Amino acid sequence: MVFNPCMKHKLVRRTVRDFAEAELGPIAHEIDREARFPWEVIEKMRPLNFFGLQVPRKYGGADIDSISYAITIEEISRVSGAVGLCITVHNSVGIYPILRFGTDEQKQLYLPKLARGEYIGAFCLTEANAGSDASGVETHAVIDGDDYIINGTKIFVTNGGVCSLPLIFVITDPDASSKNASVFIVESSMPGYSVGEIEDLCGMRANPVSSLFLEDCRVPKENLLGRPGDGTKIGLCALDTGRIGIGAQAVGIAQAAFESSVKYSKERQQFKKPISSFQTIQNMLADMATEIDAARLLVYRVCALKDAGKPFSKEAAMAKLYCSGAASRITSQAVQIHGGYGYSKEYDVERYFRDAKVTEIYEGTSEIQRMVISRTVLTEPM
Amino acid sequence: MLKMIVCMKQVPMVTELPWDTRTGTLKRELAEGMMNPACKHALEAALRLKHEHDGHITAITMGPPMAEEILHEAIAMGADRCLMLCDKKMAGADTLVTSYTLARAIEIFCPDFDLILCGCYTSDSETAQVGPQLAEELDIPVIAYAEDCTVNEETITIKRVSDNFLETLQMNMPGLITLTTQNFAPRYTPIAGLQDAFDEPNILTVSADDLGLDEEIIGLAGSPTKILEVYSPTAQKNNIVMKGAPKRIVEELLERFDDRIGSVIRKDLKVVS
Amino acid sequence: MAETKRSIWVFGDYRNYFQNRVTLQLLSRAKDLAQRIDARVCAVVFGHEVDEWVGEYIAHGAQTVYVTDHPMLKNYSTDIYVTLMERLAQTYDPEIILVGATSFGREFAPRVSKRLKTGLTADCVDLDINEDGILVQTAPAFGGNLLTRIVTPQRRPQMATVRAGVFQEIPHNYEATGEIIYVEMPMHLPKDRVRLISSERQPPREQKIEDASVVVCGGRGMGSKKKFRNLYELAKTLGGEVGATRPVVYSKWAEEDALVGQADKHIKPKVLFSFGISGAIQHTAGIVDADFIIAVNKNPNAAMMKMADVAIVADANQVCTALIRELKKRIRT
Repeated sequence: MVFNPCMKHKLVRRTVRDFAEAELGPIAHEIDREARFPWEVIEKMRPLNFFGLQVPRKYGGADIDSISYAITIEEISRVSGAVGLCITVHNSVGIYPILRFGTDEQKQLYLPKLARGEYIGAFCLTEANAGSDASGVETHAVIDGDDYIINGTKIFVTNGGVCSLPLIFVITDPDASSKNASVFIVESSMPGYSVGEIEDLCGMRANPVSSLFLEDCRVPKENLLGRPGDGTKIGLCALDTGRIGIGAQAVGIAQAAFESSVKYSKERQQFKKPISSFQTIQNMLADMATEIDAARLLVYRVCALKDAGKPFSKEAAMAKLYCSGAASRITSQAVQIHGGYGYSKEYDVERYFRDAKVTEIYEGTSEIQRMVISRTVLTEPM
Repeated sequence: MLKMIVCMKQVPMVTELPWDTRTGTLKRELAEGMMNPACKHALEAALRLKHEHDGHITAITMGPPMAEEILHEAIAMGADRCLMLCDKKMAGADTLVTSYTLARAIEIFCPDFDLILCGCYTSDSETAQVGPQLAEELDIPVIAYAEDCTVNEETITIKRVSDNFLETLQMNMPGLITLTTQNFAPRYTPIAGLQDAFDEPNILTVSADDLGLDEEIIGLAGSPTKILEVYSPTAQKNNIVMKGAPKRIVEELLERFDDRIGSVIRKDLKVVS
Repeated sequence: MAETKRSIWVFGDYRNYFQNRVTLQLLSRAKDLAQRIDARVCAVVFGHEVDEWVGEYIAHGAQTVYVTDHPMLKNYSTDIYVTLMERLAQTYDPEIILVGATSFGREFAPRVSKRLKTGLTADCVDLDINEDGILVQTAPAFGGNLLTRIVTPQRRPQMATVRAGVFQEIPHNYEATGEIIYVEMPMHLPKDRVRLISSERQPPREQKIEDASVVVCGGRGMGSKKKFRNLYELAKTLGGEVGATRPVVYSKWAEEDALVGQADKHIKPKVLFSFGISGAIQHTAGIVDADFIIAVNKNPNAAMMKMADVAIVADANQVCTALIRELKKRIRT
């Protein structure tokens, strides 16, 4: 296993960082304030393979290793958590299920456009009654000739306002004793599909999170991903992969907060000394640095397992749990170090703080991650 | 086919650098490196010419092992193959010897070139000497500080601004041009390119022995210029230090120096109560 | 002929004579250096109908001027001039050759040094002679926070390029006399491989910032492009010009022509405001001649703060905006 700082990963990091700082850096603050999705930067990201990071070459993707993928998400998120979120959701839960479970026709039809960023992807699971408890899903699909008719509402869909190819998690037989879940590839152009209002959220504000309404939405049978009843399997697999990206995202946000804290503590003088000379601050910075490094390594470990074709659910849950918690702690600490300035919207620190929090919630709350880990720990042989 | 060579250098990314006062050379391995900006522009110019004229690009650099990173970057952006001139004996070379070493490598490994492109100067030493000296060593015509270039069969036409003269110049190839950062804004490197650059690198590493070069004529030993010392230029003035709230500072500043500043801007800065 | 004495040569770069005085400045410095090693100061001029410049160089310190005057040399040609200089140097064996670091000089000097197989130091900020009688060339080292002293111990001539503004010219001396040596155009000169298709003199750039008595310079410490704009407002209020450091120009917070520094413009304002600039020598070399420097930086240990007459430890943008307000109050009254 090779990982940072091998030359390839260093170069990936620098390449993405250069792009992110040049293109997103100047507008990151503004797009958060205005809750604006930066189409003009998305446009520039398309030809650079940001939308097809791990898609195979024959479908027009970059097919990079998972650590390079994690580094890419980390570096984008370091500048703009919201855009990093868009990219990771698109690449992981939006594309990976099609790669793993799609038919050749489905891959041929959809992957090239997804890889080019012509279609932006998403994964819709959450509903009003189904958050951590996926069995609460009520959106259902009923066979009608050569099609399925889907009815239901999905909420808190990341990329909801801009996605054109969301994967929708539905149940196909609500009356059966064990509910059968399935996943459909739905195109936003299909009749009966509409997008709700963009949510007004605490953080990740430049990401257009919204509800999706499916009202008698007619979807061809060919758009069923995998077999009927595969929904749970696909969902779990998608979330496992998604956790790599969320972990990387959290690391990126924490890194930005940390860098800002180091710089500020060297410049800010109180009691005639820079505050970096005080042990309290030094201890905070030491802990932050160690946590970020530990978090990053946890993410890379999952990447290595995934690329080696080994199971990685427990490790992915651990990474997501730890990274998101670290990001919340570190960004809170960063605000503290910056004092009043940290609390001001004129600086970026409070944005990192707001952005970090949701990493503990979406794609499986920290409580769910603990459930996954403890279940494995209690059943695995020691 | 237009055969091009792009000479590039890895320069440190940070502005403050660890300096080895013993040898008077840079402790380069301690800093993150990047492709010198002007060299990147030169590569971009070559990439555009490659596209227009069905060309081939060989990227060359002379440096320590970590400099290989910029060659991978060059491939990721579209260069076809690379030469890495790496040997402890080459270290500490001044521009004269650098151009000599590059020339020998070119003569052995890519002798039938049409055009060599170099950045006009590096962000670390800024001497702007290697390009012209390399041309001299290879005995080919050179035009420095090119801002625009057009290739036509055997000739290349350059536009540049030199000392307030807008010049259009032409030379026959093989030749060498150095590019400024005015034009040819470098493209972003696609991620797929980075993957390729490490899957199929096509980088040949070359030592001093491969070039048949004697230790005495290259590197620090062969350089006619020698560094006597490196020192920090800070001249400490007896200055007035002001701290506090900006508003108060400004008031105090204008209180004390209203005459000094006022006389220069020819305005009365005294407060009229 | 005074060839028993050593000589220090200065290349006569006359084509922008009135804007660019570097040749005259180098002649002045050459005079100081020559005294130290008992050498003659010589100017070298290639061109056509150049008597005016020859006279100027004598009036500004040249004791001998080598001139090659020929119609072929009407326009500068790097190729031909390099060959002429090479032959001249091989014939007369100068101890030192100094070239102004104009665009031309920076292409010409390296090629000459290569031909003569000798060392060259670019963009020197100082030239001196040490106790061994060798030319000590002081040039900025990487990043500009360090200076290096460089020598060419063995090879001759010792060569250096120097930017305009580093040295001061000697005032024009109408009484000065000098020897003019006409050097014949060589019979078999290799053909010029670079053909000049067209050459248009650009209107001389307005030297607003070089002539300004008040300059407001800004660096990355200003924080953002938007905040940097405040400097323009301050400059306007003071009737001055805005200068910028290289990182700021790269980030496109300011235009290229605002760039102040060693490689770019040397300014000599009576009052210089420096906002959020750390003070890398690439920048500070361009401001050494400022009379009164007020620097603002959050970091009290920045090099720029040590150079300043008044060092204000505070946020650059906040002080800038406070200063604008206060000035407007006072100027109105």
